[in-house]
Amino acid sequence: MNYHLLPFTFTRISNHEVLVNELGDMIISPFGTVYKLVNREPVDEELFKSLAANFFVSDTAIPVLSDIYALRLREKKRFLDQFTALHIFVLTLRCNQNCVYCQASSCNEDCTSVTMTMHTMKKAVELMFKSPSPYLTMEFQGGEPSLEPKLLRYGIELAEEINKAEQKNINYVLCTNCVDLTDEVMDICKQYKVMISSSLDGPAYLHNTNRGKKDSYEKVVAGFERARSILGHDQVSALMTTSELALDYPIEIVDEYRRLGFRSIFLRALNPYGLATTNPDWTDYTDRFIEFYKTALNYIIDLNIQGTFFIEEYAAIILKKMITPYTTGFVDLQSPAGIINSVLVYNYDGYVYASDESRMLAEFNDYTFRLGHVDEPYENIVYGKAAKNAAKYWSNEALAGCTDCGVRTYCGADPVRNHSTQNDLYGYRPASLLCRKNKAIIEYIISLIIERYDEVMPIFKSWLL
Amino acid sequence: MCCQPPLAVDDIEELYQENIERVMNAPKGLPMIGITGGEPTLLGDKLIDLVALVREQLPDTEIHILSNGRAFVDGNYTMRLAAAGGDKLVVGVPFHSDYCLDHDLIAGCKGAYNETMIGLYNLAGAGVCIELRIVMNAINYRRFVPMAQFIHHNLPFVGWIAFMGMEYVGYAIKHSKNIWVEPKSYIPELCEAVKYLAEWNYDVCIYNIPLCLLLEQYRKFAVKSISDWKNKFLDLCDECSVKANCCGLFSTSIKPYEGLKPID
Repeated sequence: MNYHLLPFTFTRISNHEVLVNELGDMIISPFGTVYKLVNREPVDEELFKSLAANFFVSDTAIPVLSDIYALRLREKKRFLDQFTALHIFVLTLRCNQNCVYCQASSCNEDCTSVTMTMHTMKKAVELMFKSPSPYLTMEFQGGEPSLEPKLLRYGIELAEEINKAEQKNINYVLCTNCVDLTDEVMDICKQYKVMISSSLDGPAYLHNTNRGKKDSYEKVVAGFERARSILGHDQVSALMTTSELALDYPIEIVDEYRRLGFRSIFLRALNPYGLATTNPDWTDYTDRFIEFYKTALNYIIDLNIQGTFFIEEYAAIILKKMITPYTTGFVDLQSPAGIINSVLVYNYDGYVYASDESRMLAEFNDYTFRLGHVDEPYENIVYGKAAKNAAKYWSNEALAGCTDCGVRTYCGADPVRNHSTQNDLYGYRPASLLCRKNKAIIEYIISLIIERYDEVMPIFKSWLL
Repeated sequence: MCCQPPLAVDDIEELYQENIERVMNAPKGLPMIGITGGEPTLLGDKLIDLVALVREQLPDTEIHILSNGRAFVDGNYTMRLAAAGGDKLVVGVPFHSDYCLDHDLIAGCKGAYNETMIGLYNLAGAGVCIELRIVMNAINYRRFVPMAQFIHHNLPFVGWIAFMGMEYVGYAIKHSKNIWVEPKSYIPELCEAVKYLAEWNYDVCIYNIPLCLLLEQYRKFAVKSISDWKNKFLDLCDECSVKANCCGLFSTSIKPYEGLKPID
């Protein structure tokens, strides 16, 4: 047989060979298919037709429909089109909680000199408007940013003022633990339609243990209710972080989210930053997290089969890349990576960082991803030395251990994580726990599609509509 | 398998003048005008003039052009047609297979698939609403599910997708042994493909298949698609409870489908 192979990677899952092209289109085929294709031995006729139709093989070296291939690839990389959309403002490191896994080096409420100045806020907002993106998300983080209502109001009102001329579409997000939502903060949120993004780790015993407080759970849940009643039910979302203790409670955590009226959960692993690095055995944690994730995902799928609509957000992100022609704006699974391309962080200290994780490293005197200072020109920051250095390692298409990975198109590049865990922006995939986790989860989702297609596909589709 | 076989005559000028008159005399409240053939894009710029005339004379009438889509490989022509038609223009394009050689075989023309695919992208780029038509036959029915997946990944912009039962007339008879297949043979593939697309919220419908050949949960996709001047019912249809919603059969076909039965 006479044909050309187009770029694709492959892996073996559930006794099948899974072929994935650069567009994320997936062909599930019998063992030995790639060997036959490489050696031009005949394969099943219908399989061959699917490979030809979906840009895996071509009768010409350059496919006649390469323009369509290019348009589809552009759609898959659409997150690059308009440059940075997410702008994170770290208002302060002051916090009113003391979480065991804090990733942000927060400090006591009484601390001074860990809060952004008005001048920094002004410069940061001006830098944000330098981004060519017509959509901007201004996200306030901490510490606990609700402890700085005046700074919050100043930042939003300045953005509103500048936007009278700029006419961009701006969303505001306040990342708060909801423990102490004052009237002043609620007034700001209501006036400017600020979304609340909060944290809840699961049932009371789990949440309170993680937070190092006896009554955090009660306060947080009361805060949710208060925020929902003032701002609207859907204006409040919550994120969970899987502490070591949480690994034993996948079902209970999902049930807690349902009980509190959420229609989705993001099963999020711990990051090895900040206080979280004191966790003893990351390999053991990663393996246990993978099992935790599978158990919780299966439970969520069962809920959906029984008629309860409930989404697991991480799977939904991967599935969007896998079973649709579109992509997502999720910064942690992008190539080129989300840093700078999709996110910039303006820290309380007046410096601009490549990502949330980058500013956390800075708390440990690692300034690798410090892009510049808010007083510098925009170009110095996004085209500066630190940015250029990171850019060399931010495409998984060109990283050893990623380039030929069977599920590379569904994953992303993360030079910040490589640097923080392996002291090397390039990273060494065989020992990378991020690689281990992502690969296991992506392959597990594919195995569900192979083994339980009729059951899971209607559910997975419903999560993406 | 064309059911309106092409004639080797140059009838463009004569028919064009007739059609101009038809448009000028049409009632202003006409809901839809269909432009078909043969292949209407063979009129070239005259088709654009005709569409512009309809748009001018009948501003609220939907214009439905049935075309093999190959002429839209010319992006400029496509843009000009789209501009002439405005927002109430629909182009119906047959999509015979996701595999190019099968499509070319059914279309009877080498290279047709590639031109039609580029044409579909150009139509979408020009903002034209596309009706994707899959005429079901012996060559393509095994690929209905891969075709549905292909449409979702490569042609997600289409306005709707129609799976169409074949009229047993014209070239369909001449090439019968290669392309004719009884609907009952492809109903499982048809239903799975319809389910796949409907779950993604695509507007998907089934033309020309009597309701009794479909499982109950798929009857909602069936449309009364056969024009009243060429549809008919069998005697046994009189006992059927859903006859009023059924497309019936082509009176022009030389034999009815197998497996017809009244529904209680």
